[in-house]
Amino acid sequence: MTSFQSQLGEGGGEAIAEELAESQRSISIAEFFEKNKQMLGFDSDAKALVTAVKEAVDNALDATEEAGILPDVYIEIEEVGGYYRLVVEDNGPGITKEQVPKVFGKLLYGSRFHTRAQTRGQQGIGISAAVLYSQLTSGKPAKITSKTENGDGARYFELTIDTDTNEPEIDVESETTWERPHGTRIEMEMEGNMRARKQLHNYVQYTAVVNPHARIEFEEPDASFKFERATDELPPETEEIRPHPHGVELGTLLKMLEATDSYSLSGFLQGEFTRVGAKTADSVLDNFRDRHFGREVAWRPPRTHADGDVESAVADAVANKSAAATAAFAERLADDVGDRDRIANAELAGLVDDLADEIEAEFDETFGSTVRGNAVEAAWSTVVMDRSADSYELVDRATTSRKDDAAIEGLAGRLADKFDGQDDQRNRLTRERLREFVDRSADATEEFDDATFGETARGNVTEAVWERSVTVPDDPPNVRDVAADRDTAAQLLEAMRETDILAPPTDCLAPISEELVLAGLKKEYDADFYTSVTRDASVHGGDPFVVEVGIAYGGEIESDGGVEVLRFANRVPLVYQRGACATVDVLKNVNWRNYGLDQPGGSGMPNGPAVLMVHIASTSVPFTSESKDAVANIPEIEDELRLALQEAGRELNSHLKKQRSLQKRKRKQNVIADILPEMAEKLSEVTGRESLDIEDSLARIMNNVLIERTVEGSSVRLSVHNYGGTNVAPEITEIVTDDPGDPDGATVVEMDGEWFMKWSPTVGSGETATLEYETGDDVAFDVSVEGIEGEKLTINA
Amino acid sequence: MSTESDSDVKDELARKRLIELASEFYDQFAEGTVPEMEIPTRTKSNIVFDEKKDVWVYGDRTSTRSANSVRGAQKLLKAIYTIEFLAEQLDQDRSSTLRELYYLSESWDEERAQFNDQDESNQLVEDLEIVSEVTREDFHMRPEESGATIMGPLFLREQTRRGERDIHCQEDVGEGGYQIPNNPDTIEFLDHDADFVLCVETGGMRDRLVENGFDEEYNVIVVHLKGQPARATRRITRRLHDELELPVVVFCDGDPWSYRIYASVSYGSIKSAHLSEYLATPAAEYVGIQPVDIVNYDLPTDPLSDSDINALESELDDPRFQSDYWREQIELQLDIGKKAEQQALASRGLDFVTDTYLPERLGEMGVL
Repeated sequence: MTSFQSQLGEGGGEAIAEELAESQRSISIAEFFEKNKQMLGFDSDAKALVTAVKEAVDNALDATEEAGILPDVYIEIEEVGGYYRLVVEDNGPGITKEQVPKVFGKLLYGSRFHTRAQTRGQQGIGISAAVLYSQLTSGKPAKITSKTENGDGARYFELTIDTDTNEPEIDVESETTWERPHGTRIEMEMEGNMRARKQLHNYVQYTAVVNPHARIEFEEPDASFKFERATDELPPETEEIRPHPHGVELGTLLKMLEATDSYSLSGFLQGEFTRVGAKTADSVLDNFRDRHFGREVAWRPPRTHADGDVESAVADAVANKSAAATAAFAERLADDVGDRDRIANAELAGLVDDLADEIEAEFDETFGSTVRGNAVEAAWSTVVMDRSADSYELVDRATTSRKDDAAIEGLAGRLADKFDGQDDQRNRLTRERLREFVDRSADATEEFDDATFGETARGNVTEAVWERSVTVPDDPPNVRDVAADRDTAAQLLEAMRETDILAPPTDCLAPISEELVLAGLKKEYDADFYTSVTRDASVHGGDPFVVEVGIAYGGEIESDGGVEVLRFANRVPLVYQRGACATVDVLKNVNWRNYGLDQPGGSGMPNGPAVLMVHIASTSVPFTSESKDAVANIPEIEDELRLALQEAGRELNSHLKKQRSLQKRKRKQNVIADILPEMAEKLSEVTGRESLDIEDSLARIMNNVLIERTVEGSSVRLSVHNYGGTNVAPEITEIVTDDPGDPDGATVVEMDGEWFMKWSPTVGSGETATLEYETGDDVAFDVSVEGIEGEKLTINA
Repeated sequence: MSTESDSDVKDELARKRLIELASEFYDQFAEGTVPEMEIPTRTKSNIVFDEKKDVWVYGDRTSTRSANSVRGAQKLLKAIYTIEFLAEQLDQDRSSTLRELYYLSESWDEERAQFNDQDESNQLVEDLEIVSEVTREDFHMRPEESGATIMGPLFLREQTRRGERDIHCQEDVGEGGYQIPNNPDTIEFLDHDADFVLCVETGGMRDRLVENGFDEEYNVIVVHLKGQPARATRRITRRLHDELELPVVVFCDGDPWSYRIYASVSYGSIKSAHLSEYLATPAAEYVGIQPVDIVNYDLPTDPLSDSDINALESELDDPRFQSDYWREQIELQLDIGKKAEQQALASRGLDFVTDTYLPERLGEMGVL
């Protein structure tokens, strides 16, 4: 059903809502439900029970979290006379009588439907669908108990939905007692069966994994589980956000344009979209202008005293003004134009306006719009007098040096002719029209000059000219005009998409966080190794999303067959339609062999003792169908997911590598540790010398860290030899039975006649650190070392 | 004069060297370092010519047997066990063959000290020879008898386990000649009547020379190499040259493998380059069969096989054959594509070799 929400992004959500409402008026609600069972997740008796649990639990978790309460959820399934009774309790804030029908009875109730924030993905239709299903199959009302914190005690309601009017009705209401201080309990009886027991168990367990802040208790006829809380940290509250300009579709944009109170496009953009300020709005509008009005091509003005003389042309064009003002005007304009490398018509008009104002003030004469217009026209005609030379330069630079000069000249000349003959003498044109000019010129050049201009060359020439063109200063159309014209709106949409805009804010998302993914996995899986990755937020179609991946490996995890895959969307476990899910597609396409997992054939589901968890958090998770069992293949999400899996995979691989190297080291150590004493013994036998101490040699062979103690009278020395290739920073704790005083670099704590000395030396490769202290003559020592793997440590003290 | 006490002193020295080696390992342990043994790399690429001694010796490249790997630790363990065995053997004045050492290791308690095959034990003994600078003969280690023999006007005294024996190598021996003992250093040359030493590759040719009385006629000590000569054979050849100041010539088949037999007599072999000074006779000269003889005497031949051609070509690159003489001969042989055995001379009559070929060749070489 979340797809309703996702379709809101595409402008279709409300339409479906309306359609639903429409159906509800024309057909009975029972009939409607029957027709839409599949869409609502009640297509089989087995699945119905899972769906009902899912809806009720999601509801319970949302209710508690929204109130800032750590969820404590109790789920019970009981078989009663051919029906199943489902009870779900939470410790939420409880609800009032007025809210009861809205929360549990009314389809489409819920404010979330119109917002863009990450929630467990319900639109309010979920739990009421379960209520309706139970009522339709068992004929029993839903029994709701709720207790709020205001101290009034618990209330008991029985709720039915009038299938003719689609109105919920409270049939029974009474006071009752309930041991919980606050919370809500719903009890429904329905047709169902436990054939989907595995999915149900998975759902509950996975919910516990992904909600480490929740305590969940689950009882069904054959089993019961308790999942304890692993953290007291509630997921952050999610913020609602406005849509992101990169994420809207044309239909949505048109609706937004119609609905907005803004008059100007700038105001609209800033007011209705996230991440759009004045500057971004300007960028969008510039891009929009380029599409809507086109750009004006800028030409190289004639150099001073060249053939075309701006000054004299302008002087001639200005009539009926004093000679001094005319001369000053013409001269300054000629200067200003001459300063420019290239100038477009609109820029020229701007110059003329500025200068005219200046001259008006200086000479106290009026330079009206006619005069200004004439001046622009006159100056422009000199600027564009030799387009072909200019055009040659552009074309020459944009094409490869291999092109024949005559061909370039041919193309440049023809292109210049197009501009000469353009109706709009300002040479204002859209990029498409520019390309048309280039194409026509190139075609003609190919035909008459026996040259070829391929797609790339044409594109380059177009790009070169477009780059030299200037965005026009014209005011963009206002909101109402854009809303009224689909094509203009489409131009605006393109402009929005083209503009670089900051990714949407992510405080509207509540990823589980790397830390809590680990906590969740650790809680439910007894593994050797855990890793988690939370990617930075990204955007698909204007909706921000975050991908998270967790891997648990080894330990007690089943090593036969494929890895266990846990899929989540907005913290809701997905237990059906695994094969249709984009997450699984991506997972299968990762080369897990690179990351140390067995993967027959190099693609497909990897094997081995691993649990792979993927979570997609988004304001709108795109599902493949209304029953929201599988994530749709959205390239942006797939890319992020792949990166996250690879990142986690690399962690896993480095763990496995380390494991392997430690194992190898262990084996080597075992063999060598066995042989060396033999050798030493034989050597003392052969040489007739005293028996040998070989710890040092052994440590050196194993690239180990060796800790040795030397005692001379009352002075004790601990030597830390690092025979390894990298620095080590062990934490060394020595316990002595006499006062060691205050040795260098150590912290000393006395406890019950024992002194605990702690050093944290950093010992470089091949170096030795010496830790010394003085103590009594007849003392006992005990040294312990942390921060170095056991396999790499030899203590000879 | 080799006396009882001389050999005792020698044994004691060998024993001392072995114990010193063990002490080195001991000290390395005691210092806290990793026990290791450095030995020259024993490959063709690490053989260099010693201009002074005129023999091939090991170059500068060394490889290290270190206890820091499982393999290295096992090698060293075996070395120490072998040192103990050799030291005891010297102590008790016993000797054993290389093969016996291999089987004997089976009786050691420590399974990891046992040898996997005889190559391993042979190699280890060679390692110990090199590191301790004591020859394996002085460890009382001997190979299986090679069966090489001497025939000629030579009177010698051999120190046997059963006492001294004075033997004349023509008068006191049968047709087979005097069998060279494993350690020729137990021999003392008493007298001789010889003009030169002739080393012969094949048994058939040796028998022909003896039957024709070549040794008597020309006062020759005929040494039978029996293919690639054993150490003892090379050692006694060297002693005959050094002590009796006799010229040495080598008479082999006319193929690339025989040239290598000559090379090992003359320059020393790769596996025992550490002993070249002791085993090689640089002054030894090659009689034939030369490729040019094949042409001159029109000998019956076999065509060169591919491996013959490869061997000849690799000899062209072999620094030991970098003389004009060898270059010419080898190139000629590659050119005619043929090889001939010593016995091919019989195609010109059974006496051809003693009456014509050898006198002619030896005359050319200035030996006769």
